[in-house]
Amino acid sequence: MAQPQKPNFPGHDLGDQFRFWPKHNEKIYERLESKHAWLEEKQAAAQGDGEPPATQKSELDPLENEMVLNIGPQHPATHGVLRCVVKLDGETIEKSVLDIGYLHRGIEKLAEHKTYQEFMPYTDRMDYLSPYSNNVAWCLAVEKLAGIEVPERAQWIRMIMSELARISSHCLWLGVGMMDAGAVSGFVWTFQEREEIYSIMDEVAGARFTVSHSRIGGVSTDFSPRAIEMIRDFVDKFPDRVEGWEGLLNKNRIWIERNKGVGRVTKEEALELGLTGPNLRGSGVPYDIRRFEPYLKYDEVDFTIPVREEGDCLARYFLRLDEMKQSVRIIEQCLDRMTEGPIRADDAKQAYPSKDEVYYSMEGMIHDFMYTDVGTVPPKGAHSYHAIEAPKGELGFYLTSDGTGRPWRVRINAPSFTNLQAMEYMMEGSLVADTVVIIGSLDPVMGEADK
Amino acid sequence: MSNPDDPRASDPQDPEELRFHFTPSDEPTPEHETDNPHAKATTRVPDVIEALRDEFGDAVLEVERYANEDTVYVEKQKIRPICRFLKAQGFDYFADLGGIDNFTEEDRYEVFYNLVSTERQKRIRLKIRVDEEDMRVPSVVEVYRAANWNEREAYDMFGFTFVDHPDPRRMYMPEDFDYHPLRKEFPQLGVPGSLPLPPQTPDGELTMDPFAAAHGSKPVKSYEEPDTDSDSE
Repeated sequence: MAQPQKPNFPGHDLGDQFRFWPKHNEKIYERLESKHAWLEEKQAAAQGDGEPPATQKSELDPLENEMVLNIGPQHPATHGVLRCVVKLDGETIEKSVLDIGYLHRGIEKLAEHKTYQEFMPYTDRMDYLSPYSNNVAWCLAVEKLAGIEVPERAQWIRMIMSELARISSHCLWLGVGMMDAGAVSGFVWTFQEREEIYSIMDEVAGARFTVSHSRIGGVSTDFSPRAIEMIRDFVDKFPDRVEGWEGLLNKNRIWIERNKGVGRVTKEEALELGLTGPNLRGSGVPYDIRRFEPYLKYDEVDFTIPVREEGDCLARYFLRLDEMKQSVRIIEQCLDRMTEGPIRADDAKQAYPSKDEVYYSMEGMIHDFMYTDVGTVPPKGAHSYHAIEAPKGELGFYLTSDGTGRPWRVRINAPSFTNLQAMEYMMEGSLVADTVVIIGSLDPVMGEADK
Repeated sequence: MSNPDDPRASDPQDPEELRFHFTPSDEPTPEHETDNPHAKATTRVPDVIEALRDEFGDAVLEVERYANEDTVYVEKQKIRPICRFLKAQGFDYFADLGGIDNFTEEDRYEVFYNLVSTERQKRIRLKIRVDEEDMRVPSVVEVYRAANWNEREAYDMFGFTFVDHPDPRRMYMPEDFDYHPLRKEFPQLGVPGSLPLPPQTPDGELTMDPFAAAHGSKPVKSYEEPDTDSDSE
C-alpha cells in the first residue's frame, strides 16, 4: 500500500499532523474557506457604507485576529467525539464546520444481518444515556411493521421505564451542563439521581446501563414488588431534588449569564433547521410525538408539554427541568393505573414464550428456538415508520421488510444527528467560550448521531 | 424448474426432498393496509395526495398504503417542485430522508422523504426511484435546509449525486474512502486496505485492515508477546 500523499492546505502549514485521511481534512478546510457564513453576508451588504469587502478583510488584519481552531474530537466539552473546525475572528466564531463520524459503527448495515430481536442490544448503544427509550422505539417500530399487539401491562411498564430513562438522560444533561458552565460539583449531585435510576433498572432488567429489557411483543420480565417500591420511592423524592437544583441555579448569576441569550434560535429557524425534541420546543414549536401521534398509553395519561418561546440555552434549561417534573407525573399515573395481566403477546410467531414454557414443555422449547432462529416475519415488501419522543427528540425507525426474519433496510432517524446539523449554524456568530454551553444545551449524543 | 406452472413439482434431476424450501412471508393483505394495532391517524393524507395529483398530474406515479401510512411515489425530476408545493401546503418540518437499495435490475435505489406538518398534524412520505445508471437526484436543500446533512449521508452510504447540493461531502466516512457501505454488495466487514487507521504501535505503519484476523492474516499487536518457548523452559 503506497503511503498517502502529504496533504496540501492552502495558507496553512500543518506539517506532518495528518498522516492518514489527508483528503478528508483537506475538504474540511476547503469547506471552511468557501463557506458563506452570515458575517460575510452582512459585510457584503454593508459594502456600500464604506466597509471593506470581505475578500480584502484578511489583508486588513494587522493584529492577526483570524485563526482556525480545531475543537475535538477528543475534548471533554464536546460530549463524545464531535469535531468542530471553527474560523475565529478574535473570539467570535465566523464560520464553523462540524465533522462527525468518529463513532460510526454502521449499525444500519449491521441490522441487515441480524434478526429483529438480535438487533436490540445495538439500540442500547445508540443513545447510551437512555437505552430504554431506544429499546422501546425499536420494539414499537418492529411491532408496527409486523402488526403485533402488545398486552396492556407491558405498555405501562414500557411507559414507566422510558420516562425514567428521560429523567436519567436529563439528569446527565444538567450535570454536564453545569460542569460546562464551571460548576463541577453539580455533576455529582445529578449523578446521584442517575445512580438511583441505575439501581431501578438493575432491579427491573438485571442490567444497570445497557438494559435491553423490552422485547418484541412485550417486555422481558415483570416488575417485582421491590421494583415498584423503588420507583415509588424515587418519584416521591425526586421533585424535591429538582427544587433543590432550581434553588441553586435559577437565581445564580453565573448560570443565568452564561446561558441567557446564548445560542438563540427563533421559531422559524428552528423549524427550518430541523431541530427536534426539547430544543425545538424551547423555540416555541409544540411538536412532541407523545401528543402529535400518541403511542403506548400517552393519550390516556394527563401531562403537559412544556414550551418556551425564547429559544436560547436558558429556555432549554427551564424546559428540560419542567419535562422532568412532567415525567414524574406520568410515572405516578402509570403506577396507579397499571393493570395485572400478561407481559408478552401470547403467540409464538410474535414474541418469545415465557421461560416456564421453554423449560417445561416441548412446544415452548421449539418456539423459543424458532423465534431465536427466524423470529418475527413481517409481510414481504412491507415498510413503515414509527417514531417516539426520546429524551433527545424524535427517534424514528423506518423499516423495510423482504419477508424474511431479517430487515431489508433499517433507517434510523436519530435526534442528535438533526440537532447537530442545526448546531453548525447556531455556533456561527457566538463566542468560543459559548460553544461549550451550546453543545451542552443541545445535548447531542455521538453514539446516536454517528450511528 | 421443469414445470413452470407448478414450481413445487418434483424433477428427477432436482428431487423435491433435497430442495431447500425457503418460503418468505406472503405479500401484505388488504387488511394490512389499514389494520394495525399501532396505526396512527396522522399518516393518512388523502386530501394532500389529491392536491398533488391536481397540481402535478402524471408526476405522481402511485400511492401505496401499509399500516395506515401513505407513501407517494413521485417522479425523480419533479421532487423539488413537489417539495416546494408541499411546504406551501403546510408541511413545514423536514423529518427524515434516506436511501434504500432494492438490489433489482431496474430502478435499483429509492430515496424517501418524510415530511411533517406541525399545524395540520399530518405526516407524508414521498419516494422516488433512482436507476443505477443515473444516480443524479435533485437536491431539496434549497426548499428544506434540514435536508442538508441527510442528503450528505445518503450520498455517503449509497452514492447518489445530489444535484445543486451546497456541500457535497461525505457525512460519516472520510473523503479518502472509495466505497458506499450501505449498498448491498458491500461486505459487512469492509474492504481491507480501503480505510487507513492510526498505527497500532508508536512507530508502526498505518493499520490497513482492522479485521485482519477475520480476513485470514495476522493482526498487528500493540504490545510485544512474551516468548512462549523461554517461558516453558
